[in-house]
Amino acid sequence: MPEEIDTKNKKTENKREPNYWKGFKEIYNDPEFSKKVNEDLTESKPKDANGMSRRKFLAFVGASAALAGAACTDYRDKGEIIPYNKMPEEISLGKPNFYASTCTLCPNSCGILIRTREGRPIKVDGNPEHPVSKGKICVKGQASILDLYDPDRLKGPLRKSKTGIFLKTPWLAANKTFITALDNADKQIAVITHKINSVTTKKLLGEFTKKYPNTKIYSYELFDNTIRNNAWKKSYGTDFYPIIKWDKAKVIVALQSDFLGTEGNRVENARLFAEGRDVDKVKNFNRLYSVEADMSLTGSNADYRLKLKPELQYNFVMSLLNEINRKTNIKIPINVSKFSLKSFAKKYSLDAKKVEFLVNDLIENSGKSIVYAGRSLPEKTHIAVNLLNEILGNTKLYNRKTSNYSVAGLSTYGDFYKLITDMKNGGVSVVIHFDSNPVYHLPDNMGYKKALKKVETVATLTESANESSEVSNFVFATNNQLESWGDAKTRTGFYSLQQPVIAPLYNTRQKEAVILQWVKGLNSKFKENLYHKYLMDNWRATIYPTLNSEIEFKRFWYGILNDGVVLKNEKIKSFGKFKNSSLSGLTTSPVKPNGFTVVIKESYALGDGRQANNGWLQELPNSLAQITWDNYAAISKKTAKKLQVQNNDNIKVDTGSGEKVYPVFIQPGAADNTVTIDSGYGRTKVGRVGEGAGFRISGLMSGKPTFSPWIYTNVKVARAEGTYTVVTDQEHHVFEKKPTENIFKKRGILFEGTVAEYEKDHKFLKNEREEERIVTPAIYPRHPELYKDVKWGMAIDLNKCLACGDCVIACNSENNVPIVGKDQIGRGRRMQWIRIDRYYSVSYDEPIISTQPMLCQQCDDAPCENVCPVAATTHSEDGLNQMIYNRCVGTRYCANNCPYKVRRFNFYNYRDRFKDGFQEEQLFDLIYNPEVTVRSNGVMEKCTFCIQRIMEEKAEAIREKRKIIGENVKVACQVACPTSAIKFGDINAKKSKFVKYRNHELGYYVLEEVNTKPNVTYIAKLRNTHTEES
Amino acid sequence: MARSDKLYSVAAIFDKPDGIIHAAEKVKDAGYKQFDVNTSYPIHGMDNAMGLSSSKVGYVTLAAGLFGGTFILLFMWWTLAESYPLFIGGKPFFSLPAFFPITFETSILFGAVATFIALITVFFKLPYNNHPLHDTNYMKRVSVDKYGIYILAEDEKFDKDEIIELFKSLGASSIELIYLPKEEKYGMLQPKFMLFLLVVIVGISGATYFTLNKLMYMTPFNWMEYQDKSNPQESSLFFADKRSMRTPVEGTVARGFIPYPYKGIAYPKEVLSNPTLPSKEILKLGKEKYLTFCSPCHGDYGEGTSRLNGQFPTGPTQHSDKVRNYKDGMLYHIITNGQNSMPAYDKQISRKERWAIVDYIRVLQRAKNAKKSDLVEIKKESSTNGQ
Amino acid sequence: MSVDYSKDMVLFDRNPELVELEELISKPIDTRPSKKYFIALAITSTMLLIGVIAAGITFYYGIGTWGNNQTIAWGFGITNFVFWVGIAHAGTLISAILFLLRQRWRNAIARFAEAMTIFAVMCAGIFPIIHLGRPWLAGYLFPYPNSMNIWPNFFSPLDWDVFAVSTYMTVSILFWYLGLIPDFATLRDKTTSKIKKIVYSFFSLGWRHSNRHWRDYEKAYMIFAGLATPLVLSVHTVVSFDFAAAIVPGWHSTIFPPYFVAGAIFSGFAMVVTVLIVVRKIFDMENIITVNHLDKMNKIILLTGSMVGYAYLMEVFISWYSGVPTEQYVAINRAFGDYAWAYWIMVSCNTLFPQFFWSRKIRRSIPAMFVIVILVNVGMWFERYVIIVSSLQRDFLPSSWTYFTPSIIDLGILLGSFGLFFTMILMFTRTLPVVSMSEIKAVVEGAQPSHHGGAN
Repeated sequence: MPEEIDTKNKKTENKREPNYWKGFKEIYNDPEFSKKVNEDLTESKPKDANGMSRRKFLAFVGASAALAGAACTDYRDKGEIIPYNKMPEEISLGKPNFYASTCTLCPNSCGILIRTREGRPIKVDGNPEHPVSKGKICVKGQASILDLYDPDRLKGPLRKSKTGIFLKTPWLAANKTFITALDNADKQIAVITHKINSVTTKKLLGEFTKKYPNTKIYSYELFDNTIRNNAWKKSYGTDFYPIIKWDKAKVIVALQSDFLGTEGNRVENARLFAEGRDVDKVKNFNRLYSVEADMSLTGSNADYRLKLKPELQYNFVMSLLNEINRKTNIKIPINVSKFSLKSFAKKYSLDAKKVEFLVNDLIENSGKSIVYAGRSLPEKTHIAVNLLNEILGNTKLYNRKTSNYSVAGLSTYGDFYKLITDMKNGGVSVVIHFDSNPVYHLPDNMGYKKALKKVETVATLTESANESSEVSNFVFATNNQLESWGDAKTRTGFYSLQQPVIAPLYNTRQKEAVILQWVKGLNSKFKENLYHKYLMDNWRATIYPTLNSEIEFKRFWYGILNDGVVLKNEKIKSFGKFKNSSLSGLTTSPVKPNGFTVVIKESYALGDGRQANNGWLQELPNSLAQITWDNYAAISKKTAKKLQVQNNDNIKVDTGSGEKVYPVFIQPGAADNTVTIDSGYGRTKVGRVGEGAGFRISGLMSGKPTFSPWIYTNVKVARAEGTYTVVTDQEHHVFEKKPTENIFKKRGILFEGTVAEYEKDHKFLKNEREEERIVTPAIYPRHPELYKDVKWGMAIDLNKCLACGDCVIACNSENNVPIVGKDQIGRGRRMQWIRIDRYYSVSYDEPIISTQPMLCQQCDDAPCENVCPVAATTHSEDGLNQMIYNRCVGTRYCANNCPYKVRRFNFYNYRDRFKDGFQEEQLFDLIYNPEVTVRSNGVMEKCTFCIQRIMEEKAEAIREKRKIIGENVKVACQVACPTSAIKFGDINAKKSKFVKYRNHELGYYVLEEVNTKPNVTYIAKLRNTHTEES
Repeated sequence: MARSDKLYSVAAIFDKPDGIIHAAEKVKDAGYKQFDVNTSYPIHGMDNAMGLSSSKVGYVTLAAGLFGGTFILLFMWWTLAESYPLFIGGKPFFSLPAFFPITFETSILFGAVATFIALITVFFKLPYNNHPLHDTNYMKRVSVDKYGIYILAEDEKFDKDEIIELFKSLGASSIELIYLPKEEKYGMLQPKFMLFLLVVIVGISGATYFTLNKLMYMTPFNWMEYQDKSNPQESSLFFADKRSMRTPVEGTVARGFIPYPYKGIAYPKEVLSNPTLPSKEILKLGKEKYLTFCSPCHGDYGEGTSRLNGQFPTGPTQHSDKVRNYKDGMLYHIITNGQNSMPAYDKQISRKERWAIVDYIRVLQRAKNAKKSDLVEIKKESSTNGQ
Repeated sequence: MSVDYSKDMVLFDRNPELVELEELISKPIDTRPSKKYFIALAITSTMLLIGVIAAGITFYYGIGTWGNNQTIAWGFGITNFVFWVGIAHAGTLISAILFLLRQRWRNAIARFAEAMTIFAVMCAGIFPIIHLGRPWLAGYLFPYPNSMNIWPNFFSPLDWDVFAVSTYMTVSILFWYLGLIPDFATLRDKTTSKIKKIVYSFFSLGWRHSNRHWRDYEKAYMIFAGLATPLVLSVHTVVSFDFAAAIVPGWHSTIFPPYFVAGAIFSGFAMVVTVLIVVRKIFDMENIITVNHLDKMNKIILLTGSMVGYAYLMEVFISWYSGVPTEQYVAINRAFGDYAWAYWIMVSCNTLFPQFFWSRKIRRSIPAMFVIVILVNVGMWFERYVIIVSSLQRDFLPSSWTYFTPSIIDLGILLGSFGLFFTMILMFTRTLPVVSMSEIKAVVEGAQPSHHGGAN
């Protein structure tokens, strides 16, 4: 029972401090405030307090609103608008202009067509008017745009001080001192240049020699056709090896020759070769045999490939002669009895069957076949090959309409040795490197660099600092080829012109102009158009008359500048008859191979290393090894086992003229005991991009080669200390055994057949696919609003595709694709929108190679679209899988869900990251295509079928009040493809040429089973093997 | 808190759950309405003891949940099919299966949130931090381990002593009288508070400004608003003149722009010949361009009556013999090169358009003095068109 | 509603007084914590700091700092996300599903489990944001009205995630807070400190333990449990859709939803046990969180573990049965390819070791179970890793096959997420009652009227 009632709580309450939250009063416990409040409470209408507060409060609210408003407005600097003062007629803002010119990066001097925007070159393509390159251009030419905008270029002339550092100096001063040096030169003045194709430059040098009579001109190329031409001269007595009509050939036998990759005018070769791979004229498909030591682009495209060490090629040819003589008793003017093809094949484990086929094909197709020896093979092999072609009557395939034309010949190593000895004993007072880099190119063991120290005045005319400029006292900064005037003649029948598309970006002068200034002397003031005038005068004086045209010169001149080329009908002298006397030099007994052989190969991307500072080329994966940013020693698996090395292990290579270390890369299909190394890498003095990329080959080369300047036999190779990581973009599976045995066929990635199969049944692939294919029904009906008007599609003819990678560079340049650098490639983060997939099958030693360009397939039912949470990738009515960069938040879900893995994510702001902001230099803004977004960090990107070009056509169509025509749109990769393997157009234009390819019997879609309904059709590759094969 | 002397309720504490249940029943039976039981955890059977009906909160959940579901479904339909239709993976604009997950989640979200809000605000009438019961010993004890019951003064049967008796009889361990707290007023105007307000305002504005105009444009933020490329007329710091647009090199020729050979010559000896045929399209183009560029001075019909009547030198008529005898090339030359006070138009008007204008001028001239034959022709035209 | 509380007396080794009980529960809050506590806090907060730095670097430089590449675009980020979401599920399961199943023993651990849920979801929620290429645009995933009239793509599983996870977060917090209100009130009326009083009053919203409120309160609690149950199942189902709805071989599979939910509960319980073992030691609550509790949870671990094992087998079977070469190859590659090590870690940790729980002794021995549950946590993390990485690295085109190597930043962030989680847990144990007072009181001996509520 409770005791008394507790009523004290009232009092206690009053005693106790309130301790729960009741208002601001407690928050700041302020006595004078509480006092005030109590007053308020006593007289119980707190009007002024509250009234005041309300007004004040409103005021505050207003103020805050105003402040906030002010804060939200945007005060940033939006940049300024700077229009033309005087608008040039040809320029209309936002529309590109095209300039025809000539590429001077290699002796081929192809015609180029430069796309400019508001007077800035932004892309280089081939010039369609050019009779040789016919609108195509190699990777080097395409990438040359990057050389123009290279921040590492020389900004002006330099002079080496006493202390050996380079000082900036004005042109006048530099010229003055140098001209005095020339005037005082009592001994030889050596001008070292690359091959000269320009008649005007030749004339100029002539004048220079006239002024300075003790001048000698030396010219060289790292890779040239001297051996082949000499052999030809021996066999036929005329100057050049003729141009071959590859398109007419039924059987092509390439002996250690990469004529599709790096030899001769590869643009033309590829085009003509591909004409013999037209699926619509399957009857005259050519058959390519490749007999080689390395794994070359040509080899990978061969129907039959035989591995053979280069020094054995001679035996092989002789054995062929023997065999042919045995089969068809054609007389052979030389004794080949010691060469038995059978035993040869047996001895060097060549597939007897293949060899048999080869011989028979040659005999059957005599007159329609060609045997082509690689330029690096020694003379006697070439002579033997000439003989072989002669007796087979293959001379029919020599082009008799046009032949090579040499403006100025090349010097031999001998000449250079003489020069060097002169230099050594002080016989040379001035050396001028005329845009050449002998210090890097000439074999180290010639001791050029050392000899140079003996020369008091060395001048280098170059675009950017290089090994030679390093060791000279004067460096004259020259223009890029896109800033220069010039002309070229490489063949009979036409001239081509070079014109600048932008004024020199830096304080540079065109190399000819510099020489001209020296010739003219300083009392004639330098003007920008100095060489321009000179060129025009020369043409007016010497060439214009020979062309006997009616139009007066000025308009004629403008005419050729417009076209870039001018035709001229010239007769070529006949080749002459085959001289048996030339055979006297040939040994009649087989040569014995021993030890290792080193093959030095021209790098497909970098050539002789002139463009080593070009990020696009450095990052272009070798289409077979898929290796970027480095060269390497490619060896076979057996050899690797013998040397006990893995990929990335170092090996010592000693050719007798120097020991060098290279990282190993095990190349499936490489011949045993041969080491193949690419040229053009290991530049020691080069810009930020090129430095540290790869290894020099000059150390291996010798000025007095025993076998051939590019092939060294009997080489010592051994495991060396340490490793060096070469990064590759694709893991090197050879799908030889279960569970991955030709996995790519099982998965419907690549379908292939043989010509025979196709001829038997045009539908063979269709049927094959039908039975393999699981047809999954679509859940939803085709969207009614889609594809009513145009629908864009692409077709890629794998018969024509050589996997050269030209499309990759074209895409980089067109779509502002960033360079990511070696480390990122190593982490599997390449950015190129189009890539060449390469699959090895069957076996490591004798792999079958299948390649496939892979780009966004623009699927109708694109898996990537469904999963993007922010609808940053959607579909357009005309069938494009669009990418809205600005909407992308970067979940990367689309990349996961893309079965073709063609989406590219910006893992960094690569423009900022690569070589600390190399691509963020002011200069780089100029190269980017203004029509394409420059993507930021964290954004997904991918091929969009060059939507900017589609839009151009749309705009055009609207302006001309017509419908869009699919054929009018030419996407970048399509334009670049040297074999026109890529077709693009409107699927709904039923009668167009494109649609024919779209619904070709050989056409298939990659991964049909996934049923994404792609819009890129692949025309299955037909291998032209013998029926008994398949 | 300060208490007034106005009684709020009489409260009793019990020690055992049985006791409180018993008490609750008795109080109910005694006919009191305004009473409540406080226990630190739900006591079982208390609802029946107090005679409470079961809770209604479930209906709120149901309604809100259903609403949420329907709303989001309609919303998704509206966004993807109405507001901004997009083609995604070849799916129809409205494809139901894909919408199920979100619909489901949202119904639950709405249901839960609505239930919670309703529970707190409607059913509990919370927050209520100065309730008379707070800060009483009674509250302190029931909130830990005791069981309390109280009857409010509002209850019509309320009689203090009677209730105390009742509680005693029920065996309450203690009984407490709870008084209402004093009414408290305090104005919101207080210097420190105002200061606080001001600081907040300035702070927020400052922060907003900084964020929107500075922070958002520092690395790593990138909106691709200003890209590292040169759009037409943009400036480029690389060049001395800050112009990203360059003028082509002197003497170069862009495809299709072979320089006009007679530039700068007032009366060239020879002129170009007209490459165009006066087709319908060409004439239409020519008219369009003529009316745009020529008519202001030369008049719509080329009769030399300027629309600018006199503020600007009036262009000569196109119908003088002189002009009529001009070669096409001459007219083209004048447009391209300008004449007297007429500027050169080669930058504004493309070559094709210039020739089209020439053709159109010819038409105007012909129209001004047409021959009989023309009329016949025209008649034929119209009649054939008629058929 | 009428629930029978009287069944669960067994849970208490002895019969405590309510006051005593309350003291015990609120001890960590009122008393100054021991040294052990601060050491623990120091460790966890260091981990958290490392995580913050790593995340900061990622934010500044971009995802490139992670190991991801063009082929394997999701790596640790999403792995951690799924892992933490999974952990979260145990909490809701205990507080909601067991509640509906009248599992009274849950009362002792419900509060704690719910807290864990919330912290785990917090950890999980961070990852989808920091794994974005442009995290500052994460708002695009929500349908907010904008001048462009652009809306998110509601077809995308990732957008489903946004809704699922945010809903889950919200509901869990409300549920948790609802349970806390009475306890806040009790604390408010107990405390003597002024600040605490203000804070508690604020959060208790002036709760008065009124029975008229209890009536609606219990109903609402019931409803919340009812909502949370399907929610928790749906959330991990949706998470599994991220994979199941994609076409990547190894992801594109219909058994993912049940498989993931089972896995979630599995890993969640393992984590709860892990933490409880520690907590009951530190705050000597052995009487409240008894071995019986742990025993019961271990049983559930055993069950779900076996379900997960079944799922593993089923996956292999399906990939074989599907006849799709890509699927088959992925299955083979998982077991014998580059990631075989990860795969076998996952299999052994998730299906083998839990089998020890068949024996009662191990179920009830603290050290043994501690080891096992840790292993389970490891195994479950690797499950997600295997699913994501080993599927992506061998997808359709062999040309883009590659290997994933995590970067130091990846590891830092993973560590950080654990840091965040445990720091939160420690803070929680200091600031809030780790056991629901009102609920625990309700199940004490003699807490309920003897002649009511059908005790007999």
